[in-house]
Amino acid sequence: ETHLSTPKSHKIKVKHSNLTPSLVKRNNVPLKPTTPLQEAKSRLHVSAVPKSLPCREEEFNNIFTFLRGKLEDKNGGCIYISGVPGTGKTATVNEVIRCLQKLIIKGQLDDFNYVAINGMKLTEPRQAYVQILKQLDGKTATWEQSYHILEKRFHSTTSKMTLLLIDELDFLCTKRQDVVYNLLDWPTKSTAQLVVITIANTMDLPERVLMGRVTSRLGLTRLTFQPYNYKQLQEIVMSRLKDFYGFRNEAIQLVARKVSAVSGDARRALDICRRAVEIAESQSAETISLQDVTEAVSEMIASAKVQAIKHCSKMEQIFLQAMSAEVTRTSIEEVYFKDAYKQLESLCSFDGIEVPSVTEILAICGRLGANRLLICEHSKNDIYQKILLNVSTDDIHYAIKELNLN
Amino acid sequence: MILLTRKYLKRKIMCPETKFRHHVKERMHILELLKRTVDMGESNSALLIGPRGSGKTTLINSILKELSYVKSFKENALIVNLHGLVHTDDRLALKDATRQMQLENAVGDKVFGTFAENLTFLLDCLKSGDKKHSKPVVFILDEFDLFCEHHNQTLLYNLFDIAQSAQAPICVIGMTCRLDVIELLEKRVKSRFSHRQIFLFPGDTSSSEQPISAFDDRLELFQHLLSLPDDENVNRIEHQYDDCTIDPQFGSVWNEYIKSLVSNPTLVNLLKRMYQIDVSERSFRNFLAMAVSTLSEKHQRLEVNDFVEASKMFSQDDKVLMLEGLSVLEICLIIAMKHETEIYDGEPFNFEAIYNRYIKFANQNSSIQTVQKPVIMKAFEHIKNLEFILPVGGMNSKVEKEYQYYKFLLTSQQVMEAVKNYSGLPTEVSQWAVTNI
Repeated sequence: ETHLSTPKSHKIKVKHSNLTPSLVKRNNVPLKPTTPLQEAKSRLHVSAVPKSLPCREEEFNNIFTFLRGKLEDKNGGCIYISGVPGTGKTATVNEVIRCLQKLIIKGQLDDFNYVAINGMKLTEPRQAYVQILKQLDGKTATWEQSYHILEKRFHSTTSKMTLLLIDELDFLCTKRQDVVYNLLDWPTKSTAQLVVITIANTMDLPERVLMGRVTSRLGLTRLTFQPYNYKQLQEIVMSRLKDFYGFRNEAIQLVARKVSAVSGDARRALDICRRAVEIAESQSAETISLQDVTEAVSEMIASAKVQAIKHCSKMEQIFLQAMSAEVTRTSIEEVYFKDAYKQLESLCSFDGIEVPSVTEILAICGRLGANRLLICEHSKNDIYQKILLNVSTDDIHYAIKELNLN
Repeated sequence: MILLTRKYLKRKIMCPETKFRHHVKERMHILELLKRTVDMGESNSALLIGPRGSGKTTLINSILKELSYVKSFKENALIVNLHGLVHTDDRLALKDATRQMQLENAVGDKVFGTFAENLTFLLDCLKSGDKKHSKPVVFILDEFDLFCEHHNQTLLYNLFDIAQSAQAPICVIGMTCRLDVIELLEKRVKSRFSHRQIFLFPGDTSSSEQPISAFDDRLELFQHLLSLPDDENVNRIEHQYDDCTIDPQFGSVWNEYIKSLVSNPTLVNLLKRMYQIDVSERSFRNFLAMAVSTLSEKHQRLEVNDFVEASKMFSQDDKVLMLEGLSVLEICLIIAMKHETEIYDGEPFNFEAIYNRYIKFANQNSSIQTVQKPVIMKAFEHIKNLEFILPVGGMNSKVEKEYQYYKFLLTSQQVMEAVKNYSGLPTEVSQWAVTNI
């Protein structure tokens, strides 16, 4: 075979999937985790998804029986799965698909095509057609061509079932909603033999965003993933650690309770645990104590606004104080720059500091606006620009009072 | 010799050093992160947050420079630099990322295919990789907050998603000056971000060997930046300065002199005042560069006065300076505006009101030469063009220009100061400025 190497021929090969996209290979082998802490860290990484997900058995069974039933009966259908981010929606579906594919190998189920698309990985909703066709046939075409091919395909009888997973459904919704309509309309054709699994975050997306005819096609087979409570988060972390006992029990419990109070996001819990291991590692400790976890939690959940105020220059702090004084005086959140400047003048003369010029204070205001300690209007309004405090007045008092004590 | 000194000092001041001062803990954190990404194939994401001029880019550059001496890092890591001001949308960012990673759809510097094709190709490439075999990619996103404004945050979602799934190992490091950057992320992007936030605050000396106050540290920096290499450390000057070979003897004399400057009370007070207003190192370096620029064959030494002069550039009120360049008629109009604003408590005014006020003054004082209305209008327009006054509700073309309302953008102190500094202003005018009404 002759090898043509002009860029154009290369591009055509990429289009027809004759060339697999690849990444440059590394020169040496990566280091293996050697210490138990490193081992634990690699297992705590979010990407290390376990074979079976703990605390999602019920949801797994629901999806599994639904899909298996559809596949065995060879008729199409839809299911809508919702839940806040990090509750294991995509991971559970992937696990179900894996189990179904195992059944095929065992010969207990007929073969099926599996196509997965993600709304966020598309540049625009219509690219969904291109992606689906690419995963079915390996060809790349424009979206119009892809749409026609798919339309034809689903209107003629095929022997194979197709499973279509649509992640981040809300990003496929446009004003006309033609893409979502088509994707959900195909399963209703008896010839298509298509099962569509849709995943999104909001529970009431079908009612709130989708049109009536789309909602009706989506059907009422729905499943909601509840945020993890602290017991479940604890179990997830424990199952990841398996035979590593360096983590104190109450340390895991603290992470679980903190995260479940905020979001119930499993990713967050795992990230905090991993950071705690890193902190313990940097202190060359063998086990992770409660202190390490507290440090990791405060690093990853707390906001740094008080810290930022503490590290501002003296005049920036006085300006913030002047802002809060002006807010208290007028009891209006929005402050004109010139009024804040007046307050600053009196604060400066009170402390016996030379009053800086308006230009200097405007620069300070701009700097604080860049940090988002303040929210400023466009600076073309000069001394009439409106400023909003983006920190609470209590934070300012707390941060500056502590400074004066030192 | 003095010209060489100037050259050396300017370079030292203006080029951020490769040796990074302070923030040892933060530096270690990122260094470890990058090392682990490359050595063990671990995927990570982090945000570096700090005010402008706090040394975020210097920190990253110094880390990358240090790592570039490590063989296993240099050979294995692919570094992709993206900048929020350059890559204003995902299309541009993706194209450039493809180019920097030298993927198969990039030939030379040209990237083929549409936006959608580029995205799919990049994602397929990263998906094809795994922890063990593919080269780790380090994404450095400067001005990270601008990436959050892209449509749907597609790029951020995909980068963070790759960092949290079993694909090619990548490390995403964002740099931004916004403290609330996390709030800008979409909820699913936020969930995928590892919430590793590293804060860089200027003047944080907590990690230096002996605890010193932040201002003492500034003095130390002052001395360090202005010192020449003397006989002790002459061999340690980095090779980038090799065309500036300075006589060690001259160097030690110079350094002694700089040392004596640091204890000069005038200078210390000056630096203290500057530090009170701005703690960032960048403006301090600018200030030093200005002082150093005054060195010449005729002016062999840095005097305290040079620093005083340089600091004036930072502390003077630009608007007062501009006012001093106005004509007497324009100053009169400015004073009339000041009176009008004071009497009506900041209410906007139009040309007619100012004109009447001015005419009343001019008629009372016979020594003031009155001019015709169009000339006064011209002066008024000049003031408007200098943006001392701001039209209310934008320029409305329907309103005659005499009746357009304006806000006055100067404080009365600024006007008074300009009147005081204005040379050759008639006494009537300066008296009028003082008296209300």
